[in-house]
This record gives sequence, structure tokens and C-alpha cells, in this order.
Amino acid sequence: MNLENSFFLLMKFVIPVYLLAFIIYAIRAFKGPTIVDIILAVDCMSFDIAAFMAILAIYFKSAFLISGAITLALWAYLLDIYIAKHLVGKEVGV
Amino acid sequence: MSEILFYLGALMIIIGGICDLFGALGLLKFPNFYIRLHAATVGTIGGAVVPLFGVGFLALGADFLPHKYAIAGASFVTGIIVLLAAPAGSHALAYAAHKTKIVKWEPKCDHLEVEE
Repeated sequence: MNLENSFFLLMKFVIPVYLLAFIIYAIRAFKGPTIVDIILAVDCMSFDIAAFMAILAIYFKSAFLISGAITLALWAYLLDIYIAKHLVGKEVGV
Repeated sequence: MSEILFYLGALMIIIGGICDLFGALGLLKFPNFYIRLHAATVGTIGGAVVPLFGVGFLALGADFLPHKYAIAGASFVTGIIVLLAAPAGSHALAYAAHKTKIVKWEPKCDHLEVEE
């Protein structure tokens, strides 16, 4: 059994676990009682989608999906900072 | 040598999937925002940084990938970015939630509370 077959066997077990985690994060993001709960759930989901996209880059043997992962990680950090600044200071600022 | 890197990366991806599932369950079941922050740390550091480094090791050890050095380097860079950005973002959210008092909770003691 070479490395490629063992990688695809690994993906059969790993991909459902990640998809189940995304569904549970989405439930918390939809029913979160306060706005910080929603932002925290979206934040966790974005970081984990970045990791999942890096796994998909190996699965589809393409180097282009990785650049999306970097952008997604930086975007989630930006969302946190902007929401925190808007909640504290009532304005975002430029 | 490449088999060792490949199986180390596969083990880190499996650990990341388990941490991801447990972080999501904690984020769903815990009672208020400040306790959910703990599960969010499990979900980001254990569920995103560990599999990103695992993807890097796995891509370095894989012999079937056409652009393996590009994928490995970019996933290491993404892992370092998430490792720096996730704690700073959750700390900013916790600061904003405590400052604006939008979370309903009954603390035993709150050292950050300011007297009106």
C-alpha cells in the first residue's frame, strides 16, 4: 500500500469529522444568544475552514487552495478586531 | 524519512479532527460566553493550528504531490498566522463583552468590575 492510497483511506475517516464539527459550529452561530457568541462561532468556523482547505489542497493536488486559507485566517482576525472595537467605542474608525 | 514525515502529519490531522469535534461540542453545550471561550481555544489551537502543521509535514513527506513545497510552506505560514491571531482575537472579544456587559452571568467574584 503506497502513500497515496493510505492518504485517501485517511480522508475517508477525517472528512466526516470535520464536516460534523462545521455543522455544530453553524448551529451555535445561528442560535447564539448574544452577538459575541455569534462572532466567536464564526471565528472558530473560519479558522477550521482554513485548516480544512489546506487538507483539500492535498486531496485535489492543487496549490491554489492554500492562498484562500491564508486570506480566510486573516479575515477572521479582522472580524474579531472590528466587532470588538465597534462594541467598545460605538464606531469602527478608519 | 518521507514515510516518517507522512505518518507524523497524518497523526496530527487525526488529532486536529478530534480536537475540532470536541471544541464544537463544547461551544454548543457550555452555559455562557466566558466558558464557551475555553472551548473556542480548543477549537482554534487544537483544531486549526495542529492540522495545518500536520498538512505541512504530510505534504513534505508525500511523493505523489506535484507542488509539495508550495503547499507545505504556505500551510506552515497559515499555521503561524492562526497561532498569533486566534488568541488576540478572542481576547479582544472577551474585553469587549466584559466592557459592554451584554453577557448574563452570575460570577462568584469579578476582579475587573469597576465601581460606578
